[in-house]
Amino acid sequence: MLVLTFAVAGAGNCVELEGMPYVFARTRVASLVMPVKCAHRGGPLHLAEFIGSDTRLTCPWHGRRVSVTRLLAQSPPAVRRGNTVTAVFRVPAGTRHTIRHLPLSAALSAAGPRPGGAGSGP
Amino acid sequence: MSFKPDYQPFVLDGDQLRQTVINYASNPLYLDNEEWQNDDNPYRRQLRPQVLQYLDFSRVLQPDEILTYSALAANRLLTTIYEADLVLLPKTQFAERRADFTGFYSTTNRVQGEMIRPYLERHVFGFLDDEVEVTGPWTKDDLQAFLRRLQEEPDDQPSKSELAIARSSDPKRALRNWLIQFAPDFLAEASPMIRNVMGYYGPVQSAWFKVIIDEYGYGVHRTKHSTLFERTLASVGLHSDLHRYWQYYLASSLMLSNYFHYLGKNHENFFRYLGALYYTETELVGFCRRAASLMSSVFGEEADTLYFTEHVHIDGHHSRMVLEELISPIVDQCGASVIPEIVRGYEEFRVLSQIADEDFAAQVQWMDSGPENKNLHDPIWAKVEAGEITAPVAHLVEPRGELSNTHQHDADELCHIRSGTMKFVSGYDAHQILEAGQGTVIWGNRLHGAIIESPECVYEIHSVKDYRACLS
Repeated sequence: MLVLTFAVAGAGNCVELEGMPYVFARTRVASLVMPVKCAHRGGPLHLAEFIGSDTRLTCPWHGRRVSVTRLLAQSPPAVRRGNTVTAVFRVPAGTRHTIRHLPLSAALSAAGPRPGGAGSGP
Repeated sequence: MSFKPDYQPFVLDGDQLRQTVINYASNPLYLDNEEWQNDDNPYRRQLRPQVLQYLDFSRVLQPDEILTYSALAANRLLTTIYEADLVLLPKTQFAERRADFTGFYSTTNRVQGEMIRPYLERHVFGFLDDEVEVTGPWTKDDLQAFLRRLQEEPDDQPSKSELAIARSSDPKRALRNWLIQFAPDFLAEASPMIRNVMGYYGPVQSAWFKVIIDEYGYGVHRTKHSTLFERTLASVGLHSDLHRYWQYYLASSLMLSNYFHYLGKNHENFFRYLGALYYTETELVGFCRRAASLMSSVFGEEADTLYFTEHVHIDGHHSRMVLEELISPIVDQCGASVIPEIVRGYEEFRVLSQIADEDFAAQVQWMDSGPENKNLHDPIWAKVEAGEITAPVAHLVEPRGELSNTHQHDADELCHIRSGTMKFVSGYDAHQILEAGQGTVIWGNRLHGAIIESPECVYEIHSVKDYRACLS
């Protein structure tokens, strides 16, 4: 297992390993660590928006839609603490990786729905 | 049968909450003290009920408000409420404190505390709902990898608080204030943890109990961890009766201790407690090693560091035990759906620990800056007199001995003495004497109090908001 910590936004918000960049996305559906290469032709999903759908992101290259729920089910488990996210990638601990910056679309920068906790009241 | 069930949730509206809080805090046990310290009386805590009417505990504090006076007031209330579940006795003179004992454990005190507790918890800890967010499908192997990484992180880097003490103009004073911050937790050590040993939940319950047995020194009182901490306090000239230094606790110090009570009191947070417990047991190994070294470097051989060196040893075991004997089997027993809660507790306590570290470091800077803040009064006061600064002002007249119990303001203020003498206190053993014509800058969110040392003192508090802006 490879456990990595990187930024939620700003510099260092993208981890790339085994040729796939990942970012922490906060969508209206859910927050998740998501791969940002579209499965169709490798389009930049970090720039995807919700177009004509409340639950599926549209790749800016060819308009292919991808379900956030499906992405979430396949995403690395992660926890965000403030502007930092720690994710567990199911690859050997020594796997080479790089950390860099990727701009995010508005759809990936919005706070998602949150489960109740102390904030849900008595 | 004509009975129609109509089950309703328990709710207090804003006014009911405010009135119940004020009534709870108006218990004679919780009124202002005439002394800086409580004298071997664990039931006396200063809650300053006179200002609670101005606070709104019905809302969640935002991250940038977590060190405000509202947070301090709520944490003082929560500590008091939680500790009504604990057996607390003075070291001596119980007969003289018998009425306080009865009042502290009275039905009215406990029931009213329980009515306001959920709102105070939401007020103080609600921000964590946004601060920590767990996502994705977690497996037990993922969790193990995530948690074990903390054991691999270097633990030899001093915290901000430790650096602040080492670099302080008065490191002994700073370190005593540091130990005082631990007192609410360490003197009743593991009490929140015991909340989770009751019940019926299988082998993990017994493993949990083993950790507690360590904390309690296997029933040998001289080895009980709280006894070791009492020795530590005594070795640097501090008393160890519970909450003697109540007025010097920072909001964040109480928040750390309250967090475990919050998790332990509300058993729906049981899994979160496991994550927080793992974090603290693991983190304490390096922390206690550094703390022992810091104490020795500041106080020399007189410092009794056994409390810390004992934890260097035993918490290495506890970290492993929590992971292997508590967390791993509880995931096997309850399933992977509990993992996000474990991760959440781990990260939440990490957030709170960071806040407390930065808060105390800032308090050391505040204490050290007493002479400078006193000097800064003059240029700012000159601008006030010249009409260049106009801020809301409170005019106060107080008699000799009037003790303004410790509190803090949400923004910077300027104190100006018109006549008389004030002892302005910015922490344990930290003060400035202010005479007529003098004054001090008071930093926002910094704990302070004052006592009048002349027959009368006439003074003003100007709410300047940002003292640095006043100087430009």
